[in-house]
Amino acid sequence: MSLSALLSQYGDLYLQALLNTWRLTALCYVGAFAIGIVVTVLRVCPVKPLRVFGDFFVQVFRNIPGAAMLIILVYALPRLKIMLSYEMCVIVASVLIPSAFCSEHLMSGMNTIHPGQIEAARALGLTFSQMIARVVIPQALRSTVLPMTSLAVGTMLTTALASQVPLRPNQLELTGVVNYINSRAVGGVLAFAVSAVLYVSTALLIGWIGATIDRKVRILR
Amino acid sequence: MNAPSIRDRLYEPPGPKTRRRIAVFTVIALLGLGFLLYLVVRQFERQGQLQPRYWDFFLKWSTWRYLGAGLLSTLKAALTAAVIAIGAGFLLMRGKLNKNPVVRWVSVALIEFTRGVPTLLLIYFFFLVVPRMGVSLGAFWRITLPCAISASGIIAEAFRAGVNAVPRGQTEAALSLGLSNLRTFYQVVFPQAIRFVIPSLISELVIVLKDTTFAYVVSYADLMQNAKVLITSHDSLVSVYLVVAVIYILINYGLNKLSDRMARGGARTAAER
Amino acid sequence: MTQRYPAGDVPVIELKNVNKHYGDLHVLKDISLSVRKGEVVVIIGPSGSGKSTLCRTINRLETIDSGQILIEGVPLPEEGRRLAELRSRIGMVFQSFNLFAHMSVLDNMILAPVSVLKKSRREAREEAMRLLERVGVADQAKKLPAQLSGGQQQRAAIARALAMRPRAMLFDEPTSALDPEMIGEVLNVITELAQEGMTMVIVTHEMNFARRVSDRVIFMDGGMIVEENTPEAFFSHPSSQRAVDFLQSIRTPEAL
Repeated sequence: MSLSALLSQYGDLYLQALLNTWRLTALCYVGAFAIGIVVTVLRVCPVKPLRVFGDFFVQVFRNIPGAAMLIILVYALPRLKIMLSYEMCVIVASVLIPSAFCSEHLMSGMNTIHPGQIEAARALGLTFSQMIARVVIPQALRSTVLPMTSLAVGTMLTTALASQVPLRPNQLELTGVVNYINSRAVGGVLAFAVSAVLYVSTALLIGWIGATIDRKVRILR
Repeated sequence: MNAPSIRDRLYEPPGPKTRRRIAVFTVIALLGLGFLLYLVVRQFERQGQLQPRYWDFFLKWSTWRYLGAGLLSTLKAALTAAVIAIGAGFLLMRGKLNKNPVVRWVSVALIEFTRGVPTLLLIYFFFLVVPRMGVSLGAFWRITLPCAISASGIIAEAFRAGVNAVPRGQTEAALSLGLSNLRTFYQVVFPQAIRFVIPSLISELVIVLKDTTFAYVVSYADLMQNAKVLITSHDSLVSVYLVVAVIYILINYGLNKLSDRMARGGARTAAER
Repeated sequence: MTQRYPAGDVPVIELKNVNKHYGDLHVLKDISLSVRKGEVVVIIGPSGSGKSTLCRTINRLETIDSGQILIEGVPLPEEGRRLAELRSRIGMVFQSFNLFAHMSVLDNMILAPVSVLKKSRREAREEAMRLLERVGVADQAKKLPAQLSGGQQQRAAIARALAMRPRAMLFDEPTSALDPEMIGEVLNVITELAQEGMTMVIVTHEMNFARRVSDRVIFMDGGMIVEENTPEAFFSHPSSQRAVDFLQSIRTPEAL
């Protein structure tokens, strides 16, 4: 099958798949970030049980393989009478796993803050919350732009889990669509190449955005 | 877990009021977390998942031998993939630092490719396309090769970071002593770089190990596959998958800990110099 | 700024029998000290003598195990808003400058006046520029701290502390992290402040400066105040043997 034949027959499907990958990635990234922040707050709060819980959460989701996580969501949860749609299972896995890494990045971002910065904030009479809002969070975020960029790419790669559950053709993302085409026609190398190019382009785009932001906000020391 | 330092640097030694407040919140948090745990256990209980028949076969030696065999296959695939990925990653790093622009560009393209494409896509490629090209691979290689390719780009970057971490003066000193470029790299720079690289290589092993869980796509009998057999023979899905997930988590946790410890040790020796 | 008050008034800073331990190490041993309004007290002593720790207990960057610290007659609060409020009235200058690395010099200057003193941004900015002018770094206001030299950063840090209109200033080895050629410019700023009557506690290794600027010298060793004296008396005929040894060791560094 030639490239033009492949694209004329499946072009729309690829476009739809690309948009689905983008949508899933964006959605899961935002979710991962939100949960990552909450978990990080738990991990640094002075209440010991919450710290332990936050650490536990991170270790579980940082270390569980995506496939194992998805299988538990798809097959084990229904036996506990918790029903999620297939798409929802993919989203939950692609939120929770990156959220653990997000929290790890935030923790190491905070660890780069020089202790003197915190002392200076205290000495000036800033309250704890002012110190967190004006000094700790801005500095932590600025030094985590590049890890957070990799996290966005990682989230995109995680959304390929969607190819492992049955979805309608219009829900397929870039990995699932290749499967779909291969099961119908001999897509061969080309069918893979198209998806791979779209994935890599997206990753490069994310990387470029991240590098641009990083140049603007990086803290000189 | 990261160094706990920031947690403590954020707070001042608590005064009496803060201490009281922390105590109150600790109690509330314990109650809340206890309630959460109760809800989980109750859900298991209500759905009958705590019945002994779902759990008692974990007391049998044969169950663990079977899971152990699967784990061994998983580790075999992961280690093979890691070794291949380290070799390929090293070549890609050498390529990226090569003077020849063509070599450099090809290496950069390959690195970006492997880093931007999901392992699953590569697995499907080896599963669906490679056999049609007349190359017949066993299940072992169908899972090992894509996992290796997928990790090679990240490993190349890890190598490059390690090489860049070696002070430039080391190269200059070696060259000024009349060592050739190659000798300078292999006898002076790389031996120093490897120390920075080893921790990240260990954490790459975690990524490879996770990727091998897709082995079911190519019907390779890894830990997950053996778990599936256990599930059918004991009709016990929830308990088996949970136990298997815990096994993966513990192994990866151990590897990450080892990597952290080596990174700290490496940083210390570097600082001592 | 302020005129010197006669002795006998409530001290701006007062420490009574302060003790502090780091584990087994007794770093502050029964320290009592009072600083009157307008007074410049210089603390000197060998490294590890506890002088920095003492300075940092005054605004509770270090906690104490026993004893009392009073600021204008009021015990130092242990926590919360009241502690923050009190700290805002005492300026602190650190060895490592500690300008906020992610903000321009100007933003460093207006952060606390706006968020702690609730000044308007405009008012805070005008005051900030005036102070930066005074310490000689007004032309660097838009730059990030890392783009300034160490001396410029430290002068900006002094201006940042002054922007809070503090009742007293603490200097914790303000020139120890500076290249030799920049020490002078920072000491000049501090000397000017002293001449204007600012109440100050200065921990320093600069002996000539200490002699020139101080009203009183406190010599610490091993966590204790060994000698408290006028600068003239201390530097020309110290009364304790340890002070004699210390002065000897720094006067002839080549003998070490």
